[in-house]
Amino acid sequence: MIDKINDLKAQAKEKLSNATHSMDIENIRVEFLGKKGKIIEILKDLKNVEASKRKEVATLANNLKNQLEEAIENKKEEIKNKEYEKKINSAKKIDLTVPSNLNIGSLHPITIVQKELEEIFESMGFTVEDGNEVETEYNNFEAVNVPKHHPARDMQDTFWLENGQLLKTQTSAAQNKIMLKYGTPLKAIFPGRCFRNEELDASHENTFFQMEGMMIDKDVSIANLIYFMKTLLSQIFKKDVEVRLRPGYFPFVEPGFELDIKCLYCGGEGCKVCKHGGWIELCPCGMIHPNVLKMGGINPEEYSGFAFGLGLSRLAMMKYGINDLRVLNSCDLRSLKQMDIK
Amino acid sequence: MYISINWIKDFVDLDGIDIKNLIYKFTMSTAEVEGIIEYGKNTYGVVVGKILSVEDVENSKKLHRLVVDIGDKKVNCICGAPNVKVGIKVAFAKAGSMVNGFEIKSTLIAGNPSDGMCLSEKELGISEDHTGIMILDDDTPLGIDIKQIIPIDDVIYEVDNKSLTNRPDLWGHYGIAREIAAITGRKLKPLEVEDLSCYDNLKKLDINIESSENCYRYSALTIDNVTKKVSSYKMKTRLTYCGLRPISLLVDMTNYIMLELGQPMHAFDKNFIKQINVKTLKEDTMFKTLDDTERKLDAGTLMIYNENTPVAIAGVMGGQNTQITDNTTSLFLESANFEPVIVRKTASKLGLRTDASARYEKTLDPELTKIAVERFVKILKEEDSNIEVSSRFSDLYVKKYDTIFIDITRDYINKKIGVDFSLDRIVKILESLEFKVTVKDNEMLTIEVPTFRATKDVSGKADIIEEISRIHGYDNIVPQTNFWKISPVREEEAHSLEYSSKKLLAEKFGLSEIHSYVWYDTKLNNELGIEVEDNLKIVNGLNKLDSTLRAKMGPTMLYAIYKNIKNYDDFGIFEIGRTFEYKVKNENCKEYKVLAIAKTSTKKTDEELLIELKSMLDSIVKINKNIDLEYVENTTLNDNFIHPVNSFVLKYDNVELGYITVVNPKIRDNINPKSSIVLAELRIDLLSNIENKPITYKEISKYQTVDFDFSIIVDENVKYLDIQNVINNSDLKYLQDYKLVDIYENKEKLNDKKNVTIRFTIGSYDKTLTKEEIDEEREKIISNLDKNGMKING
Repeated sequence: MIDKINDLKAQAKEKLSNATHSMDIENIRVEFLGKKGKIIEILKDLKNVEASKRKEVATLANNLKNQLEEAIENKKEEIKNKEYEKKINSAKKIDLTVPSNLNIGSLHPITIVQKELEEIFESMGFTVEDGNEVETEYNNFEAVNVPKHHPARDMQDTFWLENGQLLKTQTSAAQNKIMLKYGTPLKAIFPGRCFRNEELDASHENTFFQMEGMMIDKDVSIANLIYFMKTLLSQIFKKDVEVRLRPGYFPFVEPGFELDIKCLYCGGEGCKVCKHGGWIELCPCGMIHPNVLKMGGINPEEYSGFAFGLGLSRLAMMKYGINDLRVLNSCDLRSLKQMDIK
Repeated sequence: MYISINWIKDFVDLDGIDIKNLIYKFTMSTAEVEGIIEYGKNTYGVVVGKILSVEDVENSKKLHRLVVDIGDKKVNCICGAPNVKVGIKVAFAKAGSMVNGFEIKSTLIAGNPSDGMCLSEKELGISEDHTGIMILDDDTPLGIDIKQIIPIDDVIYEVDNKSLTNRPDLWGHYGIAREIAAITGRKLKPLEVEDLSCYDNLKKLDINIESSENCYRYSALTIDNVTKKVSSYKMKTRLTYCGLRPISLLVDMTNYIMLELGQPMHAFDKNFIKQINVKTLKEDTMFKTLDDTERKLDAGTLMIYNENTPVAIAGVMGGQNTQITDNTTSLFLESANFEPVIVRKTASKLGLRTDASARYEKTLDPELTKIAVERFVKILKEEDSNIEVSSRFSDLYVKKYDTIFIDITRDYINKKIGVDFSLDRIVKILESLEFKVTVKDNEMLTIEVPTFRATKDVSGKADIIEEISRIHGYDNIVPQTNFWKISPVREEEAHSLEYSSKKLLAEKFGLSEIHSYVWYDTKLNNELGIEVEDNLKIVNGLNKLDSTLRAKMGPTMLYAIYKNIKNYDDFGIFEIGRTFEYKVKNENCKEYKVLAIAKTSTKKTDEELLIELKSMLDSIVKINKNIDLEYVENTTLNDNFIHPVNSFVLKYDNVELGYITVVNPKIRDNINPKSSIVLAELRIDLLSNIENKPITYKEISKYQTVDFDFSIIVDENVKYLDIQNVINNSDLKYLQDYKLVDIYENKEKLNDKKNVTIRFTIGSYDKTLTKEEIDEEREKIISNLDKNGMKING
């Protein structure tokens, strides 16, 4: 019996070493350790072994069973690893230089710049408002201190409509409505499409975007306006900008300013961008005219405030280096698809 | 407007002041300067010469050989001017000199040596006169530099007219000089004028203002014995440099005073004027203005009449019938103040914006009319000492502006500017601008506004704030924060809906945002065969054809598809824009905010594209509002780009939100017959008003559910909605959910039927269902479908 066990041991060892596939291992397991396996048979047959040798045989057989189980596990693992190795080594090398199919569209540059600005303003407590594109003469002109036949109407060529309304020439057309809607204190911006009856060229469009802002509170001073504009523009351009105010005439503010920023490209030395002046004219602003406040239901004795206009089209052009205003309304995807989404 | 520094120097001492720096300060304190021209910089070596001899040049009809004495020597000169004469004094550009950048060299002309040239006024740049060479006064010293007698050297700067819109006082040099005096802290010299009271014994002119609401003041004077015809070189040069053409002494005089004081004047030939009346035209009239143009004037136009004959369009231009001619020796001088709006209306109606009308429409100070006459006489006497004033100063002053007083405290000023000014500094600045200031207790100032600022420019405290801060210099104001409450605001729902929709379309569906125009394009409509309904029109558009505002976004989206289709086969675009509804004539139009989406492909079918477009709309409403849209067959929209069969109206809660359509093949074929095109419009403004459908959490059943698929055979024209209706009305106790798995259509195998596979999920929240309960539910579905002619396959 002992010989038989030793013989089984040799047999199993040889079979195991010849095995190359997980199926072979399974067969070996069944042959020796299965319900009717050769080693199991021996263990079942112990009662027929003479009593004096029974213990020795049992020990030998049990040892063999344990050794074999372990060897089978090891061999299994070894074969599995080999099989994976083979699988991995034979895998197709993937070409990642093939371009991705993104199918990502694009937002209009105005939308992108507008969103950026809105986020800055919202963080400063401004409400975002929305105006109409067709406006009444009252809202576009009278309510912002430009009565009929005022020479300032020549400053903007207006598209008049057959019913006496007009295509709004300036975002200021929303000032009156916003003041009446919110009262004081007021912090609001109102972006929108504006229209001027002009021939198109690289720097003139009949349809363009502005963003206007108003801030009204008690004792708002010119010094506050300068501080605010400087802070705001530094946020917009993501660096500290130097600003200066010059007198500018806009009927809805008094005093009115043209705000220039020190050229961001040359730092004021003079270059092509600033036409060698060192400064870039960026946005009209001013202290809101008392008449405008009055018409908006706000007492100018108690409250004062400032308003400012930002040329969204212009800022979008600056951001992307677009040198022809007409690109923005071209609907040409060859241009527009170059824009991103954020 | 052009400003001459020489002219300014008549009124302010600018010694020791850097002119460029001064102009910069003017920009920073008063108005925008558009450019600076330095005249005379490129002219030198021009001297006074005397023509000693004139000989004809052989074989030339025009050329003469001159010998010119230029003081230190005599030189030869070949000259083609018709007015050369022995003995006259001329402006002579020597060899080696420079005339407005043009170098003069010794040369041979028609074989004759020529060492310089005699100049015309045009060549010297002081007028447009090029009829002959300049003939200088006999007493002009020989050989001196021409710049000693003609003020050729000058710095002219151009002020942006727009930035002077609210400053009637700055439309003349004297007003500008006042600003410069304030900016530099120097004294403004008083204007030298003729005292007219010495003529008070002369006869009064007959003036009547019938239209007193349109003419605030009419001042006049007559002057006889004008002997000179041409103006001095100084006057000519100044006019030319400031952009006006010298014409004759009297015309130049009115222009000169206008450029100096901002007060337009008109000189009539005195012989034609008996009695002046200012009134409006009773009926449409033809009238010839002094620019030799016959103009049709509307009834109501404000005119100057001589007795019953119109002689000038008030504030705009004089008539030819009474104008100054070469023979005029006596004039009737008008210096008037007209109501700005009527002048502006007349000028724009006639398309005749003159220097006079541009000034009147700014609301001039009526006090100016008298000063202008006084100054006119003073300057005219300098030009022509022989003149005789032949009437007393005659003046009808109908409307005098009230004197404006503004009360303001130092504290208020400092609060509004954000600078701590001393009372002294405030008073000094205001007085430099000729405001009269009285200081009372508690630092209360009462400020009297000078008449030339009081017509409409300065009226309240804000204006005083402006005067003080701009003269102080905005650059000198230190930026200051304020104690505003800053609380971040939440973005409004309506606003975030727009951005979220745009982002979704771009990111998830790969579309590109465009911006189109808000009006229809007639040319493209014709090219594509798009017919649009009449809508609100622009009345003064640059292109008369393209004047109809859009009632739908569809056409403008199709233009954009058309523009891009030559570059791309498969693409989609979107825009949030406005549409306009104009139903009732002359009433305000309604404006809507609309999201429009268009998609085209050469690979996908109309059906595939339309379903893709539907999924975009569904995503937008689901993500933003958690709602589902209804797609109702279109029976109302009949625009010719909309597909009569495959178009649907978008609805939610019985409100129409827009439409979705395959583009009508008639239009599609004009864009590209190989492409499928689909289009949708969604009223984003209405959508934003819809309330978010709340999400209530439903617990997941603890008990097992059973899924099974039914393949249902139906007629091909049965809609999924029809099947849904049957299922929903089957009174199923345990149906938890069902969804569409597939629709199979195959003409050959199924004829006019189609195979719709739906997966049902059956289960209970209270127990595990028995086989019998499940089977009962299955049978109920089958029998209900069967009742409606929908058979289960297999």
